[in-house]
Amino acid sequence: MKTAQAGTLESMDCVVSLTEGGAGNGMTVTLAGASAARFGKAMETRVRETLKKLGAVDVTASVQDNGALDVVLEARVEAAWRRLTGGGAA
Amino acid sequence: MKLRRTMLYLPGNNPNMLLRGWLFGSDGLILDLEDAVSIHEKDSARILVSRILKEGEFGDCEVTVRINGVDTEYWEKDLEAIVPCGIDGIRIPKVEGPETVKAVDEALTRIEKAAGVTVGRTKICCLLETARGIWNAYEVAASSPRVDSICPGGEDLTADLRTQRSDDGVELEGPRRRVILAARAAGIDAFDTVFPRINDDEGLVREATFIKQLGFDGKSVIHPRQIPIIHSVFMPTEKEITKARRIVEAAKEAAARGLGAVSVDGRMVDAPVVKRAQFTLTRAGLSEEVQ
Repeated sequence: MKTAQAGTLESMDCVVSLTEGGAGNGMTVTLAGASAARFGKAMETRVRETLKKLGAVDVTASVQDNGALDVVLEARVEAAWRRLTGGGAA
Repeated sequence: MKLRRTMLYLPGNNPNMLLRGWLFGSDGLILDLEDAVSIHEKDSARILVSRILKEGEFGDCEVTVRINGVDTEYWEKDLEAIVPCGIDGIRIPKVEGPETVKAVDEALTRIEKAAGVTVGRTKICCLLETARGIWNAYEVAASSPRVDSICPGGEDLTADLRTQRSDDGVELEGPRRRVILAARAAGIDAFDTVFPRINDDEGLVREATFIKQLGFDGKSVIHPRQIPIIHSVFMPTEKEITKARRIVEAAKEAAARGLGAVSVDGRMVDAPVVKRAQFTLTRAGLSEEVQ
């Protein structure tokens, strides 16, 4: 199963890991880290919306957060998605 | 004339610095996609910088991005990601001649048109980091209306000169003099390279004092603690402020009386001198006296 990752565990950042899912399995999002307990619902919504805008359907997302703002979370989701679908970094 | 005393480099893959960098009070920011980003993170840094440019806060800072060199596969992707965000300018590393500026200029125009950004809005600062780049400084400075500043290199340039950086910076003296001459001849600004020893305050004061005396408009900065030190060096002296006030006052009086010529202590003062005096007051934080 293909996976891709983006981000770091530095302050105000997060690591987003994506794994492609089987057709029809839909989207799964799991969160852990600094803000997950307090803002988990909002963060999950943000991850799902960002993935949807990028055209993702069947994918599993895992976020390890260290205080990332929405703009950073979105950037890391996008980077991980492009790595997953584009075949590598840079 | 805007203040360009300090241009702070912010690592392009570091959200903390990218989001908070403007709070350190530099006159400008350089979001860095080049040396501060590893080759494996070029893509994620590009996405991060692009999103933060669109949604981040930068206060009154001039916002620029250092793209990857034209000898890499990244520079056009960098431009496509950042130019539509409406930045003030870009820094091009390792410029050696006008042909590099021409290639980037054409790409900028194409991307600005496609993105609905005013053509020519994105200015260029050229980093001259090789002997050839320093030698061609004037040709580079005059190669496009977009080029608004040039800057000598530090580490790369000394390596290319087959020497290393010393405490007194003697190895960079010739390149700095050539850069300031080229910039002024072309009518643009000159920035100095970074001072790498972040805990050497005395050394930084010495270097900043020297480059200010040469005529540089400011200095690139790699650590926030260097900002107030450089600003204090660039702060005009009481004597300079007093002189500038008299020139600006005389210019106001002449304008009020409908006179074209300005006279201070019985001597005629040219328009560029008046402009310089106004800039001195701005640097001293007295811009309201310029109005």
